Parts: sequence; structure tokens; C-alpha cells
Amino acid sequence: MEIKLPGAGYKDIFYNSQSPMLIIGTDAPVYTMLDVNNAYLSATNTSLEDLIGKPVFGVFPANPTDAVSKNIERTIHSFEQAIHTKTAHTMSNYRYDIPIPGTNDFEERYWTTSNTPVLDDDGNVIYFIHSPSNVTELYKLNHREKAGVEALKKQQYQLYSTFMQAPVGIGIFKGPDYIVDLINPPLCELYGKTADEMMGKPVFEVLPHVKGMGFESLLDNVRLTGESFRGNELAAKFMRNGKLETAFLNFVYEPFRETDGSISGVIAVATEVTELVNAKNQIAESEARARLAVDAVGLGTFDLDLFSGEMITSKQFANIFGFEDVVPRSEYVAVFHHDDLNIRLLAHEDAIITGRLLYEARVIWKDNSIHWVRIEGKVLYNAEEKAYRILGILLDITEQRNAKEEQRKLISLVDNSVDLMSILNLNGINAYINEAGRNLLGFENEEQVSQIPVSQLHNPEDFILVEKEVIPSVMEKGKWAGTMMVRHLQSGEVFPVFNNCFRIDDPVSGAPIAVGAVMRDMRPELAAKQALADSELLLRKITSATPTALWMSDEWGDFTYVNQTWLDWTGTSYEQNLGSGWVEKIHAEDQEKTAQKFMNDLAARHLYEAEFRLDHVDGSVHWCIASGQPQYKNDGSFSGYIGACVDITEQKHLQQQKDDFIGIASHELKTPVTSIKGYAQVLEKMLLKKGDVKEAMMMNRMDGQIKRLTSLIGDLLDVTKISSGKLQFNDTEFDFNPMVRELMEDMQRTTERHTLIENFSTTGMVYGDRERIAQVIANLISNAIKYSPSADTIIIHTALKEGEVTLCVEDHGIGIPKDKLEKVFEQFYRVSGDMQHTFPGLGLGLYISSEIIKREGGRIWVTSNEGKGSTFCFALPVKNSKYG
Amino acid sequence: MGDVKKIMIADDDPGIVDSMSLILEFEGYEVSSTLNGATLLNFDQELPDILLLDIWMSGIDGRDICKHLKQREHTSQLPIVLISASKDIERSAIEAGADDFLAKPFELEELLFKIKTLIDFS
Repeated sequence: MEIKLPGAGYKDIFYNSQSPMLIIGTDAPVYTMLDVNNAYLSATNTSLEDLIGKPVFGVFPANPTDAVSKNIERTIHSFEQAIHTKTAHTMSNYRYDIPIPGTNDFEERYWTTSNTPVLDDDGNVIYFIHSPSNVTELYKLNHREKAGVEALKKQQYQLYSTFMQAPVGIGIFKGPDYIVDLINPPLCELYGKTADEMMGKPVFEVLPHVKGMGFESLLDNVRLTGESFRGNELAAKFMRNGKLETAFLNFVYEPFRETDGSISGVIAVATEVTELVNAKNQIAESEARARLAVDAVGLGTFDLDLFSGEMITSKQFANIFGFEDVVPRSEYVAVFHHDDLNIRLLAHEDAIITGRLLYEARVIWKDNSIHWVRIEGKVLYNAEEKAYRILGILLDITEQRNAKEEQRKLISLVDNSVDLMSILNLNGINAYINEAGRNLLGFENEEQVSQIPVSQLHNPEDFILVEKEVIPSVMEKGKWAGTMMVRHLQSGEVFPVFNNCFRIDDPVSGAPIAVGAVMRDMRPELAAKQALADSELLLRKITSATPTALWMSDEWGDFTYVNQTWLDWTGTSYEQNLGSGWVEKIHAEDQEKTAQKFMNDLAARHLYEAEFRLDHVDGSVHWCIASGQPQYKNDGSFSGYIGACVDITEQKHLQQQKDDFIGIASHELKTPVTSIKGYAQVLEKMLLKKGDVKEAMMMNRMDGQIKRLTSLIGDLLDVTKISSGKLQFNDTEFDFNPMVRELMEDMQRTTERHTLIENFSTTGMVYGDRERIAQVIANLISNAIKYSPSADTIIIHTALKEGEVTLCVEDHGIGIPKDKLEKVFEQFYRVSGDMQHTFPGLGLGLYISSEIIKREGGRIWVTSNEGKGSTFCFALPVKNSKYG
Repeated sequence: MGDVKKIMIADDDPGIVDSMSLILEFEGYEVSSTLNGATLLNFDQELPDILLLDIWMSGIDGRDICKHLKQREHTSQLPIVLISASKDIERSAIEAGADDFLAKPFELEELLFKIKTLIDFS
């Protein structure tokens, strides 16, 4: 169905349409405006009159405010397009400013306009509807939005650019797998990867070596809690340039927040500080090494402020000074050895001038041990060139000092050695010869040592030994020792030396570097040997010439030597006497006794003494007295005997003659004494009978003197008998105390001054020679009387004790000095001292007494207090029967 | 006075013979003497009551004489006192058969005691 709309109706729609519309004719290029609606008039601030019938561009010329938009041309083009194509043509968003009424100004407007051709029935374009739509607001909004996006884009670009060019590594890791969302080149470089290798991949997959180093949990923590993390110098391992390297990183993990505030990943900002850390480590290491070195060599350090005098020291410094820990400077100064304080002072004064402090001194520790220290320091000067500080080190050089001292001692030893000591270089020239050696060989000075080859120190024929034997032996075996001939450089004298030489090897390579030698001049030794041989010969001559036989035995008693005299006496060979062969020539009767005595003395290491008869080669028998002195080695062990054997035949003979003489003489003396005694006694009787009492008394006194004479003769005879072993005993059993009492009564008659006091205990019977024992007691009592001229009592004690009968005679006389006590029982002993001559006697009584007591199997002794008296005692064994 | 006892002294020393004779005569004995001991070996005269015989006489030992006399029947009962300057030979004197022994020098009383004892008990 076709509905025909009234033309006027459409017009109303046209005029009242909200869309501005202008109907323009096709009369190009005038383009006359045919009609217009209200909306258009309103939009263009025009009126109907201004437009209808008028060319469009006459009314709407080009904007004076817009020279660039070419909107007129675009409009004409759009018109032409619409007419030509007979379809609507739209121009979008073009600018066409409209004038503001009442002013000369224009208002900026943007338009989107459609030009819609209207066709007649023939299809020709009769006019077209120009319908601009004011899009100024829209355009502007659109435009602003565009500018905003542009600005954002620009900002984003800048950020990205910054991000990419930042000198620190930055990366964004998304999600729980930390997929690399973004990474900048520095971080790539740090990781040793390219961006392509990293992007879009889980970071730990690309960097497997950092897995498990703790970074996962750090990242998790940031991502889950939103707390950022700052890491300092953390180590991470990366494969870089084909090498697994440990890098040290300073980094920050920040949570990556989405616009809604949720955390989707972590931003990592990292800087590699490996070099810094390494440098730091190196510094620390070198510091540690330095400290170690300082500690190892025992270095102490100090820093002395010269203005304040304060000193900072290391612990080691304190230790070297003997302190547990650092102490103030004054305490260090206090422990310096007193003698070294001046050295220190001078060194400090010197240091201020030279800038260098150096001295060695001793310090004394608390335990009084002395330690050597070396102090070295550098003086620092300020701008006024004033010394203000000394920095330095301290070294304990005690060992060095000691070693030096040792070395000095060794050198001194070598220098002072009387033996030659030398070092021979392998080129045949001596590097060193000590002074003794230089003198020995005739070097005039030290320089000559290194100038004269060793070959000149020997005669050519002697040098052959050096070349062919000594040097090869030293080189091969390391040493050679023996006698060689050397030649004195000055005198040319060739003399023997004992050379002990050895190879000196390089301590490191072990290669031989020199030959050391110690040589001893053998001339003195040879001379000494000769002297010894001479002296031995002399000794042999003397021992042979001596009238004494000499002998030696070893520690077992085997004879090792007898001299010629012994051989001459016995007519034996030297060998025959060795061991125990010597006994053979001893007179048969004396052999056993003599050998036994020797063995006994040997066993006891005693002085050996024996008297025996020796059968001489001529058949005569000689008396000998042999003695042997025990010998000891250096270590104190017994080594045997050295002894002599003296022929005492003559003495024995003389002794016998003397004994015989005394025996005969005393016997001969007794005969006239007996006669005299007889005459005296008979005369006394005769006188008494005649009544001549006074004369008879004189005869009685004469008899007393004869008794003394008899007693003296008796003593002489007894001594003779004792020495010849002929003292005889007629032992019988007798009651001891009555015998003593009887004797005391007799003795009491010989003294008027003294009273003999009896102090007896029961003794019983004694078996012995009654007369001899009485002789002993009489001797003791008469001595007591004789040696106590000022006392008036003598006490005689008897007792029986432990199978012995003892008798003591106690006087209160002059006594005996302690040192003489042992001597009183010796033959011919007499009291010595001022009063000697006043005491009569031959000095035989106590000797005879002691011999008698000894022969009766008893013992005799004395106790005495000089000036207070003596007590002489003897003890005799009680024998049960005469055969006991 | 037929009871005067006879004593014979044999000693080679005239001094001893003289002094002893003097003593014994003074004591009332009849004394005879000889200086030569050898004469006693053929002693066939009237026997004395006692013989004082010295041991060491020139050339002859009194002990030998004593033994000889004690062996002879004629003189076997004769009391003999051997006298010597040596005390040590008392035992040998007794062994030689002597009745007693006296050592020179002796006490007068001792001599007289021994003589009296021997004469009285013989």
C-alpha cells in the first residue's frame, strides 16, 4: 500500500525537527540555500532572511580563526560527492567556528554533517539536505580523551624506558610461580640471560641454580604478606657466560599490586655487589692475613701520641711485655731492663730527627725472665713539621737473640778452638779457616785463605792422598777421617795432622756444597807419645832397678804384672806369675795363709798386707812384706791392686837378733839381780837379828828397788816374747774376786796416799793364766796410782755380765786426751805433754796388758775425761771348763 | 844337831851360789855347791836332803840332769828344785821330773818355803 503524505505535513516535520537541516541547490559552485529549519538557524545563530536564496559559502565563509582545517574544501568535496554519487555523504568532526553575536569573536564548533541528495522521479538530484550535527561537546570530549590516552601512553613509555634503562636490575614476577612479567637488561645481565630467555617463564625454571637458596620463601613472604624485603649482600648462584658464578646482591622485593590493591606478584630491584663484597672480603681477608701474620711472627703494634704521651697498643704488644692485656704506657716503660732505659731514650730522641724509631732492649717479666724486644716505628709529622705520632711494631726477638748468642758462642768456640776448623769450597779453595788453623798452616791473614788453593798446603806426593782418597770418600760416603801430611806455608815444614772431614750439603737441594774439616796437629801427640814411651822405659828401668818387687792385679785378683825384681828373686818367667802363678814361689808353709789373706782383702777391697817367706832361685828363703793398694777406675768401680813386695829378711834377722839380745840380756841381768836380791834379803835378816832396825829398813828399800828392776826386765822380756809370738800361758781355773782382792792387798802396800776401794759383784770362776791376768790388774792399778798423784782413791770394780767377767780400775787422775785414747795400748806409748818427763816407765805396761787380754780371748778398753780421771777395763770370757 | 839339813846348789854363776849359800847357811842349813852341773851326772857321794838345780848352766841343761838323776835309782828320791831366770819353762821343768820350780829372781821367803816343804814331806 502506498501512502501519500501531504507535502505541508512533511514541512512541519522539517521545520520542527530537532536536527538542524539546510536545503541546498545543486547549482555549483554557488550552492544556493533553498530552505532551512529552526534547529539549523538556532545552531548557527542565523535567521531565515540571512540564508534563503543566498550562496551557502557567502553566508558561511571560511573561519578567520581556523586556517588549517580546510573545512570549506571538505564541504565542497562532500557536496560534490553527494551530488555525484546520489548517495548521502557524511563529513565527520570537522571544525567550523561560528560567530558570537554582538562580537567579532567566534565560537569553536565541531560538526558531523551529512549531505543527503534528494532525487526527482528521473533520478536526478534536485537538491540535497545539508544536516550538520553539532558535535562540539562530543568532539571535544573525544579529543580530550585522546589527548589523555596519548599522555598516558607517553608516560608509560617514559616509565618503560626508565625501567629498561635503569642502572639497577628490575623485574616483575607474577603469580605463585613468579613468571617473569617484565625484566630489564641490567637484571638480565645479572642473571646471565637474555630477556627472551626470561620473559613469560617461571624465574626459578630459568635460573635453576638459585633454587633452594632461600629466595622462594622470601618472595612468597612478600607476595603473601605484602611486606617488602630488603636483602643485603646475599649470595646467589648464576650460570653466566657458561660459568657458574656466585654473585652477591643487594635487593628489594616489593609487592606488585593490581589497581584493586590485590598482590599479583613481586617487583624485584637488585644490584650486584659481588665486586664490592669480594673487595670487602679481600680487605677482610688481607686484614685477617695481616693480623695472622702479625700474630704469627709475634708482632705487637703501637700508636703513640707524642703530644699526650698516650699509647694505644695491641694485646700482642702487651703479651710481649709480659702483660696479660694492654696496660698504660708507664707500665710498659717500668718493665724495661734498667740498663736498657738509656738505649730507649736515645732511640726516641733519634727518632724525632730521623723519622724512624728502632732499638732493641730487654724487658723483665713478672716471673723475672728476661725477654729481648725490637721496637720499630715511623714518626708522623704535622703541617708545622712537628712530630706528633709514632706508629710502630714490636717484636719478641728473645729467640733470635739467644740464637745469635748461640751462634756467637759457636763462632767463638770455633775461633778459640786449638784445632783447625775449615770450610773448603768444591773449587779447591778454602772459604774459611779459623785462627788456630791459619796459624797451624802458616796463613798470614784471612785474605790469604781464599787466595791459596788447598793443593799448596800439601807436598805434591801427599796431595795425591787428598785427591785420590779423601775428597772422593767425602763426596761418596760423606766423611773421611785419618792422618795426612800438611805443609806449613811459611816454613815448608811437613807434619802430620789428624783430619776429620765431612761433606756439607745444601739443606734444600741436598747437593754437596762444601767440605768441612777439623784437623789436629799430631806433633804434640806424637811428642807426648814419645815422652810416654820414654817415661815408660824409664819407669821400667826404675821398676827393674828397684830392690822392691812390684805387682798389679785386676779386679778378680788375677795378677797382670810383676816387675823384673820379682822375676829375679824367684827365677820365674813373667808369664808364670800371671793369674795366680805368683803363689807358687811363696814358701810352702806360708802359701795357703798368704793366698787366703789376699782373697779376703780382695773380697773386702781392703788394703792388702801380708808377711811371708819367699823361696829365692838360689835356694835361700827370704822374708817379704807385701802390700797392695786397691785401685779404682774413674767411674769409681774397683779395678784391682797395685802393690809392692819388700824383702825384709834383713830386718827380720835384725829383729830376731834384737829379740834374742833382749832375751839373753834380760836373762843375764836376772842372774846378778838374783844374787843382789839374795844378799840384800839375807843382810836385812842379819841386821834385824842384830837389832839394827834402821839398817834393815834400808835393805828392805833396796829390795823394793830390786823388785822394780826385776819388773822392768820382766816387761822387756814379755815384749820380746810378744813380738816373737812366744808369750806362753798356763791357763787354769781360778776364783776371780779373791785373786783381785789378794792383789789389791799387795798393791795397797805400795802406796800411802791412795786407798784402793773394792766394788765387787759376783764373778765366779775364770779360766786363764792367773799370773798373767794378775800382771794386767797390777799394771792397771799401778798406772792408776802413778797417774793420779793428787787423788786419794782408786776404785776397782768387778762384774759378771753376758758371759764375760769384767774388771775396771777407776782413778781420778790426770786423764787422757780423747785423741790419744786409741794409742794408749800401743807399744812404747807414753803420756805426752808438759808432764811427760815426770812420769816414769818404758811405755810397755799397757801394751803387754792388752796383748795378754787379747791372747786370753778378751778385750780391753779405756774411758777417760781429761783432767778428771780414767777408767781402764778388761773383759774375759767365762769358760765352762778348761777344755771349753 | 844331826838334823841339820843338807842342801846342794848347782849353778854356773858363782854370785848365785855365793848369795844362796849365804842365805841358806844363815837359815841354818848345811850347804854344798858346784859350778859344774856335769859333775852331778855321776853323783855317788852322800845325798843332800835337797838339790837346787839351775836350768841354764854353761854347756848343760839342768832339766837333762834332773831327768837323769830321777832315773837313777840312787838319786831318784832326791827332791830337786829347778831354778831358772825364765818363768816360761816351769812346765818343762815339772815334766823333767822336778819336784818344784823357782824363777829368778825370787823372794827369800819363797825359797825357804819351798825347801822346807820338800824336806819336811820327803
